[in-house]
Amino acid sequence: MNTHERIDRDLSERDFTVVGKSVKRSDTLEKVTGAARYAGDVALPGMLYAKMKRSNIAHARIKSIDTSKALALQGVKAVLTHQDVPRVLHAGSPHPRSASVTKDQYILDERVRYWGEGVAAVAAVSEEIAERAVALIEVEYDPLPGLFTIEAASDPAAPPIHENGLGQNYVLPPVFVTRGDVDKGFGEADLVIEREYDLGRPTPAYMEPNVCVSQWDGNGKLTMWTSTQSAFMVRGTLAEVLGVPLNKVRVIVDHMGGGFGAKQDLFQNEFLCALLARRTGRPVKMEFSRKETFVGGRSRHPGKIWLKQGFTRDGRIVAREARVTFNSGAYGSHGPGVTNVGTAALTSLYRCENVRLEGRCIYTNSPIAGAFRGYGVVQTYYALDLMMDEAAEKLGFDPAEFKLMNAVREGDMAPSGHPIVGHGLVDCIRRVMEETNWHELRRREKPETVKRRGIGIGCEMHGSSAYPGIKEQGNAIVKMNEDGTVTLITGTAGLGTGAHTALSQIVAEELGVPFEAVSVVQGDTDIVPWDIGAFASHTTYLGGRAAQLAAADVRRQVLEHAAPLLKAEPGDLAIRDGFVVVANGSNQSLRLSEAVGPQRGMPAVQLVGVGTYMPTKSYSFAAHFAEVEVDTETGEVAVLEVVPVHEIGRVIHPIAAAGQIEGGIQQGIGHTLSEDYVIDLTDGRSLNPSFVDYKMPLSMDMPSIRTIIIETAPDPGGPYGAKGVGEDPIIAIGPAIANAIYDAIGVRFHHYPITPEQVLNALKTKANETRQ
Amino acid sequence: MNRLVSMTVNGEPCELSVALNRTLLDALRNEGSLTGTKKGCDVGDCGACTVIMDGRPVNACLVLAAEAEGAAIETIEGLQPAYDKPHALQQKFMEFGGAQCGFCTPGIIMMAKALLDENPDPSEDEIRFALAGNICRCTGYTKIIDAVRATAEELRRAGTL
Amino acid sequence: MKPFEYYEPATLAEASELLRRLGKDASIIAGGTDLLVELKEDLRSAHHIVNIKKIPGLTDFAYDPANGLRFGALVTVREIETSPAVNGNYPNLAKAVSLLGSIQVRNRATVVGNICRASPSADTIPPLIADGASLSVYSGGTERSIPLDEFFTGPGRTVLVPGDIVTGISMPAPRPTSGRAYIKHGRRKAMELATVGVAVSMEHVAGQCSDIRIALGAVAPTVIRARRTEDLLRGRMIDAALLAEAAESAMQEATPIGNVRASAAYRRDMVGVLTRRAIGYAMGGVQ
Repeated sequence: MNTHERIDRDLSERDFTVVGKSVKRSDTLEKVTGAARYAGDVALPGMLYAKMKRSNIAHARIKSIDTSKALALQGVKAVLTHQDVPRVLHAGSPHPRSASVTKDQYILDERVRYWGEGVAAVAAVSEEIAERAVALIEVEYDPLPGLFTIEAASDPAAPPIHENGLGQNYVLPPVFVTRGDVDKGFGEADLVIEREYDLGRPTPAYMEPNVCVSQWDGNGKLTMWTSTQSAFMVRGTLAEVLGVPLNKVRVIVDHMGGGFGAKQDLFQNEFLCALLARRTGRPVKMEFSRKETFVGGRSRHPGKIWLKQGFTRDGRIVAREARVTFNSGAYGSHGPGVTNVGTAALTSLYRCENVRLEGRCIYTNSPIAGAFRGYGVVQTYYALDLMMDEAAEKLGFDPAEFKLMNAVREGDMAPSGHPIVGHGLVDCIRRVMEETNWHELRRREKPETVKRRGIGIGCEMHGSSAYPGIKEQGNAIVKMNEDGTVTLITGTAGLGTGAHTALSQIVAEELGVPFEAVSVVQGDTDIVPWDIGAFASHTTYLGGRAAQLAAADVRRQVLEHAAPLLKAEPGDLAIRDGFVVVANGSNQSLRLSEAVGPQRGMPAVQLVGVGTYMPTKSYSFAAHFAEVEVDTETGEVAVLEVVPVHEIGRVIHPIAAAGQIEGGIQQGIGHTLSEDYVIDLTDGRSLNPSFVDYKMPLSMDMPSIRTIIIETAPDPGGPYGAKGVGEDPIIAIGPAIANAIYDAIGVRFHHYPITPEQVLNALKTKANETRQ
Repeated sequence: MNRLVSMTVNGEPCELSVALNRTLLDALRNEGSLTGTKKGCDVGDCGACTVIMDGRPVNACLVLAAEAEGAAIETIEGLQPAYDKPHALQQKFMEFGGAQCGFCTPGIIMMAKALLDENPDPSEDEIRFALAGNICRCTGYTKIIDAVRATAEELRRAGTL
Repeated sequence: MKPFEYYEPATLAEASELLRRLGKDASIIAGGTDLLVELKEDLRSAHHIVNIKKIPGLTDFAYDPANGLRFGALVTVREIETSPAVNGNYPNLAKAVSLLGSIQVRNRATVVGNICRASPSADTIPPLIADGASLSVYSGGTERSIPLDEFFTGPGRTVLVPGDIVTGISMPAPRPTSGRAYIKHGRRKAMELATVGVAVSMEHVAGQCSDIRIALGAVAPTVIRARRTEDLLRGRMIDAALLAEAAESAMQEATPIGNVRASAAYRRDMVGVLTRRAIGYAMGGVQ
């Protein structure tokens, strides 16, 4: 049985006509035929090509830049340095209503803060000439001390990387979260475990390198095609920094090749490309190479988590204390959000009334950490879940049973301060145990062979939407055309998740029309209503709800209009399968086109509905099972099988939802076992900015995944109860694997990625200890 | 200095004037205006630029355009039997969720086509082996493999393989 | 990629003369899968690119049980990978070529090109050295033969001088007593540069090793023979204790460096494990 049959079986009890069906994704036809236009596919007459000069030093003041040789090269049309661009301090993470953004970036500064930061840009008639010109730019630096680690940068004597007055290179003042009485809790504990967890630096490594194309018209209006998750944020920041009104900036995103959170930021290129286009009076394309996409991109926050918990003999958690320290890299980007969300997450998942948490985020001269699927929670729940496994063993419980006992339940206070709806986590853990014959597998004999197998379970919960950190808003316009077809105009960005299909399904369901009757207009800030962007697992939850509200508005108008035609009250009417029907009894019905189309010389009714939705928060849940095989001679760990169970309230498109889960697992396996973007700690240089050396699991490395989606805790805030799913899978898989490794070889690791060499060394140490 | 390169692209004769240091990928995307073939790394690590050259899948980023003189090139744009009729692979990728962000998709579909041309009934392991050089960061590969298997089954049933 | 002059000589003589005249500033392109990457990343500068694909006679492939295998410089890695003769007689080479890059790369890359790049981690070199392969080298009208284990002088460096063109490679046929294996170690199952590669080619009867060649990749400036380990094994009954001793010996012969891919100590450890395993596979163990 393949994945979608299984999901369909699980979800068979429902009366929806479109929602919950794996309709053919309307946004993929163009992708499979090659017709989909990505920003890099845009070609305009007279277009120039731009390249960025990047620093080869991590921390320095720029003494001088000599661009004369570059400008003299045949075919070079313009060169920009920090002396040629507006000096406007702006935030890398441009959420407009977030209290916590950090304005710490200039387009180009007279100072560089990480190895590979852009210091100049060139536009030329070909990419190859632009590259040669970049090589001809001579930059003289006054070196500053490179602060590459949290320890070095947070030393009170360390020089500040940004002059924000906070000291110790804090990106934001430390975050404190307290509930109950932690000291009293530890006093009641029978077992206290204290550990430090060390977190590597995975990067999103989306397939489409960052790219944008800029064109100014004669009226001073900029059109930019760019690969972003947040077109309106790009528009707002460009307008602010370039000093033009919002109606003079148009941002177009037809399709984009993945972002996974990171493409919420601006990457210097948007500004430089726009300015080069303005300077030369010609369209300009600026496309990163793969290496630049690593070097100038955004990673997950590396860092350290010190975690201490007190447990009672009967298996309760009575105290939890943590210090979370994230390495923000050279700029703040999403540091504030990630620190807040990641730290606060430790109030939950496993019940504990007494909690004292502290979160810090530190500037260093290393690559910029930004938003990345799982947003701080990947890190903190890795630590929390690993410690639960350890505590279970020390207290004599089965780890899955122990997690089940302590799982958050209906009414518990969520990290956002809201009561949790439903028993989603409990349901996920139970289902994983049933589905995998957990207890039977745990009793399995473990021969002392070279290759040893182990099983593990990892759990998570994650909020749909960024509330309360950001007060979000989703907007949609739904129009019904005179033939009964429907146009959805949405600000929701198409990240590749299938959001537009899901939104169309919701609109079709709400309006009682077939899925095929709905078409989508998206991706143009001049046309679609404002949207905050596609992130925080909220596109279906937030954008879908807005679309549902807009569709409901249209439905009301249709029924009001059809009522006299059917000689009935609007309240007695419904729309089913494209017909307005009288709900109670009479067989009367009217084709939608007859109800709303032009009649007897009268024009058609204008049917436009607008939906605006400002969500609060809901939580989705997951429990993952992983089986691993460890080669005890080489230290290699292979993931043999993953069984993810996700509770997401209401599944709109089962295959698309499963696709999110399976893709998240792929990235999470990478995080846990092989992916780490490494810098040289002597000079801050990137050591592996390529797909050869940044080790993502590929087709032959990926195990079979048996995806199960359940709908036991629908959320009243989402469309038909739907909640987010995008971020959840990447959080649960890591602990599942680490716990499985322990089960296989009896070694607990407290970091990621867990490399073969570390496994081998740990096994050697263990063997030596046993001998002694 | 440019050189005139004559090849067959998707069954049609095609003559492009390209610089000698131009790759086939850049020539197809720029001079050829065929942007369906994607550039994900430009050094042969990701497979997004996979095209079929004289019957064999290759990374277009690792072929000089000048080397394609006289070659028959197939790209994603040429796969559909008719403009309103997707190829079975394209159909199954849509049905099974084999495309998410879609950036790797043209390369993966071309690689899958080359596989099915050679082996009409590939096992899961054979599909994974064939796609080893095509990076997909969205799907975890499960849905891609479902789509390729379903295509193979359909093509076998239809007797077109 | 910087601009370059591009040549398509029609004969070996013409190509050899051209390369001799252009000197160090010229590079041969065959498959191009390494060359183009090096040019794009500015790891190599070449103002002259000489394409040898128009030269006839370099695509020959022949195997017979008496004379063994011989194939030309333009034979692709994929052709070797899918050759029944190679799969049946040279399982170590077959394994190595199936692990080189992707099918897309293997459809372009040539085995001879992989050799001439002289990377210490090249996949094809350890099995070919273990099998006793020799290269045919053409220069100015004469052809000479160079044993592969005398070909490399350092990372990226060989005994070739401008004007030399490797036209093909040959290796003896296996005997009924032959056993062969190649193991590549990397973080992933494909798309890897070997962190360690071990190839074994041996003659054995009833557990007794009469002859053996072991080649180690990625643990020295060039692929190396583990000669002391070979001496240790030659003429002995292979048992667990001897395998452990051989593993230890091979580790001593390796001189790996550490980098972002793996530390020196781990590479050395893997030389031991992989040498032991490769001998086991060569003697009929299941890989």
